[in-house]
Amino acid sequence: MKRIFLMLIGLTGFSIIYTSCTKDPVNNLTADESRIYITDHDSSVNFRDYKTYSISDSVAVIENGKSFHDLNDAGQAYIDAVKKHMGQAGYQMVSRNDNPDLGVDVNHIINTFTGVISYGDYWDDYGGYWDPYYWGYPGYGYYIPYAYSVYQVSEGAVSLDILDLKNASTDHKINVVWTGLIRGSGVFNASLPTTRLKLYLTSLLI
Amino acid sequence: MKRIKKIIVGVCVMMCFALTANAQKRPLKLDLNYNYSIPFSGFKNDLVSNGSPRGFKAGLIYSFSDQLSAGLSFGFQDYYQKYPRAIYNLNKTQQISAVISNSIQTTPVLLKATYFPKPSTFLKPYVSLGAGANIIDFKQYYGEFGNSQSNVGFHAQGGLGLMIPFKKTSTSALNLGATYDYAPYKKNGYKDLNSVNIQAGIVIELK
Repeated sequence: MKRIFLMLIGLTGFSIIYTSCTKDPVNNLTADESRIYITDHDSSVNFRDYKTYSISDSVAVIENGKSFHDLNDAGQAYIDAVKKHMGQAGYQMVSRNDNPDLGVDVNHIINTFTGVISYGDYWDDYGGYWDPYYWGYPGYGYYIPYAYSVYQVSEGAVSLDILDLKNASTDHKINVVWTGLIRGSGVFNASLPTTRLKLYLTSLLI
Repeated sequence: MKRIKKIIVGVCVMMCFALTANAQKRPLKLDLNYNYSIPFSGFKNDLVSNGSPRGFKAGLIYSFSDQLSAGLSFGFQDYYQKYPRAIYNLNKTQQISAVISNSIQTTPVLLKATYFPKPSTFLKPYVSLGAGANIIDFKQYYGEFGNSQSNVGFHAQGGLGLMIPFKKTSTSALNLGATYDYAPYKKNGYKDLNSVNIQAGIVIELK
């Protein structure tokens, strides 16, 4: 009997290690660490061929396939940061009416999607997190009369595009020669461009 | 995966009850060990260099003689490492700046034999050899964006250790041991999940 008791204590301990002590990588990230910065560019382009640029005066908000232009603190912070770092990289900002070599646009992409959750599956686990004992009814079960519920999640991203305006009339199209995407927590926070965009633009773009 | 874990834990508890009931004529032992794992070779260089304090090894051992025993062994180990932000090339023109987190869980299920060269001494040194399957759950995150894949691979293990009986006549003992675990993992350019492991636990005779 004593051995069975010892065994059960041991197995319970190992079961706790097995099911509970796995580190959750996402919970172990700060907001800054959660963000990713992806860039791509046209490898046939020599960026030294471009001297001037112009940047849009507002941010294109692209939400579920529809778009409109907006300018808030975060959008302005992105535009200011791009101006600062493009200037440091040697590009001269001009008006869009002065035939800039490059055009820069800033976009805020919001993707809202809807899903369905089955309460039956959800409550199977939920009962474990809130044992009926907590409510003063040890040994009771939960009864859920509903089958499904609908939830909605909005996911945001910021993209920066650099367009080749210098050769647009020759090519009869506007080539996107560099593009960047920022995803993760707080990407449309006004403090982000000033703290992180230098790394993003100067180390990856120029 | 959560359900599989629950099933494995449940089956283990049931096996212990069943074996306890039938153990009178069988010199069966239950081996329960805490395990600290240190990644080695390709595992250390490519995926996780941190040691993992989150693991255990357990086994059911049948004694054929004083010198030789064999049985079924299984374990669980959780490996995790977060690397500082760096720039990675995704292809010729695409780059990503990200904090990469690697999260790997291994569950080796092995047939294992143990040999005691000096069974009559109080302290019983032993060597062990095991081979079987390794259930691997690998998740890699760029920032908060991850992907995961599960695989079953080969796993072999060689070890040595020392059994310290609780009393001179006791068949139960304290176990101190170390193993080298060979676990090839040829996915996404990785080579292996080899590791050096240190265990401490108990061996209980099931009567």
